[in-house]
Amino acid sequence: MSHASTMQSIQQTNGQHYLPIHTSEGRTPTIPVTFTAPPTDDDNISHIDHGVTQAPYERSFSPYDFNGGTTLAISGKDYAVIAGDTRLSSGYEILSRDVSKLHTLTPRCILGSAGCKTDIDQLRSVLDIKMQMYSHNHRKDMNAPSVAQMLGNTLYYKRFFPYYAFNVLAGVDQEGKGAVYSYDAIGSFERTLFSATGSGQSFLIPLMDNLIGHGNRMDERKEIGSEEMVEIVKDAFVTAGERDIYTGDSLEIVVIKKDGMERILFPLKRD
Amino acid sequence: MSILEYNGAAIIAMTGKNCVGIAADTRLGIQAQTVATDFKKVFKVNDKLFVGLAGLATDVQTLDQILRFRQNLYELREERPMTPKVFSNLLSNILYEKRFGPWFVEPVVAGIDEAGKPFLSEMDLIGAPVYTDDFVVSGTCSGNMYGMCETLYKPDMEPDDLFETLSQALLSSVDRDALSGWGGVVHIITADGVKSRVLKGRMD
Repeated sequence: MSHASTMQSIQQTNGQHYLPIHTSEGRTPTIPVTFTAPPTDDDNISHIDHGVTQAPYERSFSPYDFNGGTTLAISGKDYAVIAGDTRLSSGYEILSRDVSKLHTLTPRCILGSAGCKTDIDQLRSVLDIKMQMYSHNHRKDMNAPSVAQMLGNTLYYKRFFPYYAFNVLAGVDQEGKGAVYSYDAIGSFERTLFSATGSGQSFLIPLMDNLIGHGNRMDERKEIGSEEMVEIVKDAFVTAGERDIYTGDSLEIVVIKKDGMERILFPLKRD
Repeated sequence: MSILEYNGAAIIAMTGKNCVGIAADTRLGIQAQTVATDFKKVFKVNDKLFVGLAGLATDVQTLDQILRFRQNLYELREERPMTPKVFSNLLSNILYEKRFGPWFVEPVVAGIDEAGKPFLSEMDLIGAPVYTDDFVVSGTCSGNMYGMCETLYKPDMEPDDLFETLSQALLSSVDRDALSGWGGVVHIITADGVKSRVLKGRMD
């Protein structure tokens, strides 16, 4: 608020000060202005106006940033595939072309997350600690459905100031079958056939419905093996990379089977 | 809530080998409530040219009337049918006339020009055109449709393959959108004529 310009507009006639008010009509009415002595200091008022009483405006700080990217997980009969691009961005800038979205929780379970990187990293630290404690207490690794439940609970702990992390969990359960779980930011989860999250999810989900869920198709349903699934995932990410600005650079795919994991790195468009 | 998402729509157009296809859903809704399942969004301009209009339903119908009027006038004066390029330009002009109070539609033009070459164009609500040679999409689930088309599209498809591709792309996209679906229609335009088919999909 500019007090200087207000002071300059003040007119004086016969000892009385007036402030002109400019209107869209022809005449310019005035209002009388009196200067009183400032109040004494025993009521502890600060007379320096920090610009918030004369002309209030909203300052805002958002604790969240969106760092972009897309993750996809698909379950098969005796394997699961999880993939994520490796681009980290903020606004229109790329911060890194080589940051992984996948995190190994157990030799048979991987977590993929998109969203705010700092929340994702913190969530992973918390999960790692819990996994270590479980492994010390029970003398075995957590199986995939248990990890899924634990992640859901961990997210709900922060129900009223959530982790800005959109997760997919992929692994092989204790019976050897592929398992994929999808989550929202506050821990609601469900075991599904496939799951995609992140900025490119709307490009991938209908495609997965068609190819893997076999929706709207009259031809015979065939079981898809892990090699063919990897090719489908590569195609899907090429599509997402074309149409989504936050997805690209390169693609990291992990195939999880009962006896181990295989990591594949595949380049994407860097534009 | 955006005005363009008030009624719901999904339209895809794709090119094939000397043919084009245009597909649309047939839902008319008022926000969440579905009111009709047979609402036309794709209109024939002439035997080689179709236009699909996605957006506010009242503007879809009004623009259909305006475009038919202008096309009839053109054919009377010129004594020949309008080519897709000219029609697309006309539509772009009509939309820009209303620059500061626009028609709430995002149209898609699909046709075959005099030489038999396929033509596609898409516009935003104030007439900015985009000409592509593969596919164009418009509607409330455009992200879904872009993903499907980008993956399923191959250049130079025969009319029957084009029909299959268009149908799968449309049906899978609208199944993940609450505001579009409830039936679909596909038109395949070739030099010999137009073949229109109604799609059987999820009615939800």
